[in-house]
Amino acid sequence: MKKHRVRRSIVATSSIIGVAALLLGGCTADGGADGGVAKITFAASTFGDPGRGPLLTQWLEEFNKSQSEVQVTAAAVPYPTFGQTVLTQMGSGQGPDLIRFDMPEFEAASDAGLVAPLDDLVDVGKYTLLKQPDQFLVHDGVRHGIIFEASNYAMFYNADLIPKPPTTYEEFTATAKSLTKGDVFGLAFRQTEAEEAGVWQDIFNYVYGFGGKWSDGKNLTINSPDNLKGLQAYKDLYDAKVIPRGADAATFRRMFAEGKVGMELNNGGYVTATRGQNPNLKFSVAPIPFPVRSQGAILAPIVVNEASEEKEAAATFIRWALEPANQVKLQEILGASSVATVTERSAASLTKTPFLPVFDGLTESSLPQIVLGFEAKTPDIRKVVVQNVIAALQGQVDLKTALDRAQQQATELVK
Amino acid sequence: MTLLEQTKVPRSATRRRRSPLGSRWTPYLFLAPAALFVLVFQAIPLAQEIFLSFTRTTLLNPTRGRWVGLDNFVRIFGDEDFHRTLVTTFVYVIVCVVGAVGSGLAVALLLNRGFRGRGIARALITVPWAAPGIAVALIATWMLNAQYGIVNRFLNAVGLGVPGGAILDSPKYALPAVLATTIWQLFPFTSVVLLSALQSVPHDLTEAATMDGAGRWATFRVVTWQVIKPVVGLLALLMTIWSLRRFELIWLMTKGGPVGRTETLVIDLYAQAFESKELGSAAAIGMVGVVISLIVITGSRLVARAVAKENP
Repeated sequence: MKKHRVRRSIVATSSIIGVAALLLGGCTADGGADGGVAKITFAASTFGDPGRGPLLTQWLEEFNKSQSEVQVTAAAVPYPTFGQTVLTQMGSGQGPDLIRFDMPEFEAASDAGLVAPLDDLVDVGKYTLLKQPDQFLVHDGVRHGIIFEASNYAMFYNADLIPKPPTTYEEFTATAKSLTKGDVFGLAFRQTEAEEAGVWQDIFNYVYGFGGKWSDGKNLTINSPDNLKGLQAYKDLYDAKVIPRGADAATFRRMFAEGKVGMELNNGGYVTATRGQNPNLKFSVAPIPFPVRSQGAILAPIVVNEASEEKEAAATFIRWALEPANQVKLQEILGASSVATVTERSAASLTKTPFLPVFDGLTESSLPQIVLGFEAKTPDIRKVVVQNVIAALQGQVDLKTALDRAQQQATELVK
Repeated sequence: MTLLEQTKVPRSATRRRRSPLGSRWTPYLFLAPAALFVLVFQAIPLAQEIFLSFTRTTLLNPTRGRWVGLDNFVRIFGDEDFHRTLVTTFVYVIVCVVGAVGSGLAVALLLNRGFRGRGIARALITVPWAAPGIAVALIATWMLNAQYGIVNRFLNAVGLGVPGGAILDSPKYALPAVLATTIWQLFPFTSVVLLSALQSVPHDLTEAATMDGAGRWATFRVVTWQVIKPVVGLLALLMTIWSLRRFELIWLMTKGGPVGRTETLVIDLYAQAFESKELGSAAAIGMVGVVISLIVITGSRLVARAVAKENP
């Protein structure tokens, strides 16, 4: 009797341990081979976009149909927490096999050795890559990514409210002021700490558009006179109350779509989304009318996770994505963004969106929103700069003092 | 033969009736799952946190930390922003406790009186407590929205509008707005608990006090307060610990901003760990939080013991 009980408990305990081991085993592998088919995951925040997400998923399905040994699954992680979620997974040796990163997170991940070098996996010599954005994906001769999407910043304007877009900064401010009346605002930009990454993207255009830069490659130049000039322009517009203060991007983009905001500086990725919000909105795009033709660009490279057990399968997907026909399809899906290689816009897309050449023409003067020379530290520097600029906006301190403080704090961080 | 001696059961009889679960290991057996839970989900992570706080560890390479001794603590205590975080934490906790317990008591006193529709009022009052924290934060954010928010519209209409309209972006008004939302969510809980305490106040005592000529305030102070005092103490302790730990409401409303005005310890900890990716500094901030919690719990126990001694 006693023997039976002991045997029963041994069997029960072994079963529990077995089930637990199976469950844990299932949790630790994101991809893997199943019956000779390598299953990989591709994480991107854009899979969750209302307009582009379903089309991108269809594009992945085309890959799956074309392959017998590799199958890719989309993993949509929301944009606000994308970097945190994926970097935390990768830091613990887990995570998706393929990732579409934004530049700050890409730099942090590649600096930490979490991204697989692509030199032996993809022969880039076979493709005509866009040189300007592509140069930022190679570190000390090692390639860590391929451009998935490059989206230049330009000025979106409501063509009903603004028949002729401003071409100088003076015209820009005058237009913003003249349009602001009642619940209509001439301009909109991000100005709240809750949207730290967005504020950084917006002030980047003001700093570079007034001849400034965040570093000279070796030292930080946050408080340089040109940066002060650009950020003063940003603050002046805030103080002039020509923007809907306190409105987040989702709110003011809806206002733009409703005709309640005249202008906003935005990237090509939002053309589709803006149309989706109001198909009847008459809007157009022009270069940002600041003194210097230099603006930010959202560069989103696709990378392979160093911890992936299916690197070759992941590289198969990248090679497929780089094929000319698939690049054209991807560009059609992404709208006004560029892709990794030089592609021709179709006549149909040019008819539908006549301002596409404006975005394409900005590629050479667009820069990724990172601090050159301190790429991996960009998220930390961004936090310091944004906090201090917002302190100045809120009247806690004057702008010069805020930038001096940011320079000192950021220098401490990168020491 | 005394009654006690009569009720004594022979030892052999006790042994015979003892159930198979009556061994001296039985209590440990029943405690084991809870102990295992505490060990796995509390003790081990806490030990790990203590270790992390003495290392320079990043989120991107969590297994490659470097021992730095007290550096993290020296750095955070030397940082002016951390001093502000501590002050904000104390202000947030104190106002939450006083506000939630005070308003809860006021509402409980009202609901303890007889009036038509009391049952419905008692049910409705629990709604904010029943609502998930995330929903409460999102509703509050919408109500306080600078463009469409009803609060902003009302304040503008009565001439009390915040310049620019962005309450949650104003260094002056963001913390009061977060506090008001927190108290709004908490007071139903305190009022329900205090209402049940008020219902346990013996009627004959309050009647006796009234017959002796005591006014309402004197009756409350001498009779009611004495009965509900231990419950108020317990609520204050719970509110303190919950307020020290509260994350989602503050994070969703302000992310600790503007310019750090609503940054409490847990917000700072999260930002250090997941935004700056500095697990070592985050662990050091967590240790400060643990020490504060221990001080609060020990202090409240000492106070409770002293009160018990005074009123045996």
